[in-house]
Amino acid sequence: MTLGGYVVRRLLHLVPITLGVTVLVFFLIHLVPGDPAATILGNQATPARVALLHHEWGLDRPIYVQYWKFMGRVVHGNLGDSLFYSVSAGHLVLQRLPVTLWLIGLGALLSVAIAVPLAALAATKRDRLPDHLVRAVPLLGLGFPPFWVGIVLLLVFGLNLGRAFPVGGYGSGFVGHLHSMFLPALTVAFGIAPILIRSLRASLLEVLESDYVTTARSKGLPESRVLVRHALRNAIVSTVSVLGVNIGYLVGGTLVIEQVYALPGIGQLMINSIFQRDFPVVQAVTLVFSIMVVLVYLLSDVVHALLDPRVRFD
Amino acid sequence: MKARSPLLLFVLALLAAAVGAAAALAGHTSHSAKAATPKRGGSITIARIEDSQSFDKTNVFQNESIWPVEQINEPLYTVTSDGRGVKPWLATSYTQSNGGKTYTFKLRPGVKFSNGKTMTSADVKFSIDDARAQLKGWGYLDAAIKNITAPNPSTVVFHLKYQWAPFLADIALFANGIIPNHFAGQTRTAFYKHPIGTGPFMWDKQVVGQSVTFKRNPFYWQKGKPYLDSVTWTFVTDENTRELQLRGGQIQVDEFPPFNSITKLQNTSGVTMSLFPSTRTDYLDMNEKYPPLADVHVRRAISYAIDRKAIVKSVLFGHGTPANSFLPPQVPFYSKSSGGLQFNMAQAKAEMAKSKYPKGFKVSVLVGAGAQVEAAMGQILQNQLKQLGISVTFKQQDTSTEFQNIQKQNYQLGFSYWTMDIADPDELVAFAIDPKGGGAHSFYTDYNNPTVINLSHQAERETNIPKRAKLYTKLQQIAAHDAFLGFLYYSPFRYAYSSKLHGFFVYPLGNYHLEDAWLG
Repeated sequence: MTLGGYVVRRLLHLVPITLGVTVLVFFLIHLVPGDPAATILGNQATPARVALLHHEWGLDRPIYVQYWKFMGRVVHGNLGDSLFYSVSAGHLVLQRLPVTLWLIGLGALLSVAIAVPLAALAATKRDRLPDHLVRAVPLLGLGFPPFWVGIVLLLVFGLNLGRAFPVGGYGSGFVGHLHSMFLPALTVAFGIAPILIRSLRASLLEVLESDYVTTARSKGLPESRVLVRHALRNAIVSTVSVLGVNIGYLVGGTLVIEQVYALPGIGQLMINSIFQRDFPVVQAVTLVFSIMVVLVYLLSDVVHALLDPRVRFD
Repeated sequence: MKARSPLLLFVLALLAAAVGAAAALAGHTSHSAKAATPKRGGSITIARIEDSQSFDKTNVFQNESIWPVEQINEPLYTVTSDGRGVKPWLATSYTQSNGGKTYTFKLRPGVKFSNGKTMTSADVKFSIDDARAQLKGWGYLDAAIKNITAPNPSTVVFHLKYQWAPFLADIALFANGIIPNHFAGQTRTAFYKHPIGTGPFMWDKQVVGQSVTFKRNPFYWQKGKPYLDSVTWTFVTDENTRELQLRGGQIQVDEFPPFNSITKLQNTSGVTMSLFPSTRTDYLDMNEKYPPLADVHVRRAISYAIDRKAIVKSVLFGHGTPANSFLPPQVPFYSKSSGGLQFNMAQAKAEMAKSKYPKGFKVSVLVGAGAQVEAAMGQILQNQLKQLGISVTFKQQDTSTEFQNIQKQNYQLGFSYWTMDIADPDELVAFAIDPKGGGAHSFYTDYNNPTVINLSHQAERETNIPKRAKLYTKLQQIAAHDAFLGFLYYSPFRYAYSSKLHGFFVYPLGNYHLEDAWLG
């Protein structure tokens, strides 16, 4: 199968997956206790006012009717209006998507930027002090919870050291976004880099002992060329899959980092909407999440196949 | 092995470049000047835990929406700084006639909306008629109004159905703020997406779910005000981040820092930590649908067993006062001598002995997931009620579920609070003790004492102030004796703000007049 055919087939998988997700999320969020009218009205949620809001939102209709209407809107590209903000749920999601994409993208980039040189250092200095340090120190990144790492980074780089970075927020313009997203992305990287380091180090150790590396060395190639051109390219294949899986998890797991850094991302929108029982927004966000996860895994598989010619599209 | 060097250098260079660029971008200046007279200019950002939901003042119940919208829409009369009365605002005076059933207001001359048009009596009539028509909103507070007439552009007359003592307090409600006639030619929905008013600030921009910004109204009727160019409200859920943003100068006001950080903020350089007297009162709800809690002796025993001082000390870190009435001290007709039950374990045991449950019973308490204050109070309550043989178990639920269960009276014990919206006890009294009139089953407790309800109705119509005070004192005394709620504590509105910000003052109802705020 060609690459194009493979991508099209995988994209077609999106249809049943997203349909399944909408069914699951719609019924789960409607069946759990909690009422958006009670949240919005607060102490003033008299039964009469609650009933008026339920009627206005159509929540007084049978749940299957509500689902049918929801799906009717979805096929026309309309995800409904937020009960809390009275604006389009799709608009809310699209407005926040770039923040989360920045966080995931820059976080992945920094993870790779940290992991690749450190894994190379560890593999080439096997069982020596640099190897031990590289294997031990990054594990702290896994041990410390992201909210704690975030607060520490904000204290160090946001309040001290010349207030180099803003204390939260998304910034404006490309430079502003880069400036604002660096610390959140670094927090993401602290969680992912240790996993990549371990994976890449193990692959590199295996590759560095293979025959073709010995052949390259025997040809008199410089060690740096052997490492970068021959060993790293082959070793990184499995790490791409590891990165893909972690980014997949990250798509739904940016909430804590978004909260600590006051980032108006999709994770924060998701959790607030769940607490408020803002049904249309919860549905819209989960729909987008499911599409993003499928796309990330697809991208990871395609990159894997492009890096490793032995992998076939089928 | 040499290959690592360029890679490491690349990473280090990347980090260094980012840090360097960021340092260059993030200009920071220190200051020490403390000006004595207001200065014009500058902008502030207020960070809150919740985002503004709507700017439709007639239908919104969320404080995070109400307090900003009050900077745009102003009422005829407004609440005084002590929260106990009202003073002229867009009206300069009023007269009463027809046995107290007709109020004639004289409008302030020269008041303009932010679109430059002069406010007239037609705008006032339209605004209040629209507000009182909102069934799912605040219309119920205007129920005494029969009709409104506008005999000339500067006079507006309110004809009431009956004498209504809280009328002026109701007129000062934000929902009765004045908007242009016929929504300035827009639809109702479109108008409230970016409302127009006579207030010190006017609509600028909103990023839904993130922030809203208002800028100076050039037509504001108080000459020279507001001093600030603009005000932005942002939504920052994490309390640590709000504090760091304040210390970093990214925001100027941190709304409601947690109680445990108050002392630290009071000692933080460049930060003013203010505790403004508020009308917030916290309660222990006791649902009388649960048979043991329908027994007045059980409720009195529980009320006696609550060590309010311990709660204030350990949960509020000393920043509060034990409550002795369901009305807060910042409300007119609050009575110090209401006889609200205070901690007395011997009395609590004596009351339990008189009840139908002398050996105790099992009861559950609803606690909001992640609500640290509720969880801590629940623990204290559990220990204290254990001494009465009452076994307390926790039911932890997310806030929406907790609200819903309380409102559906699907609970036994629960926590709730109230902040006043008007400078009159009527709103809270009707809600708390009148199961039908208030529409909320007496604060969702099912408390039903005809004597108290009758006193409430008398007080609503009694315009003689000393007589009204007597009615409310008696009402509070009976309600306290019945212990229909556990009155827990009164707590202040907590604001940490930049020392550069002056004139920032929060009223007991929670509103603030940002036209007086300025940056030094």
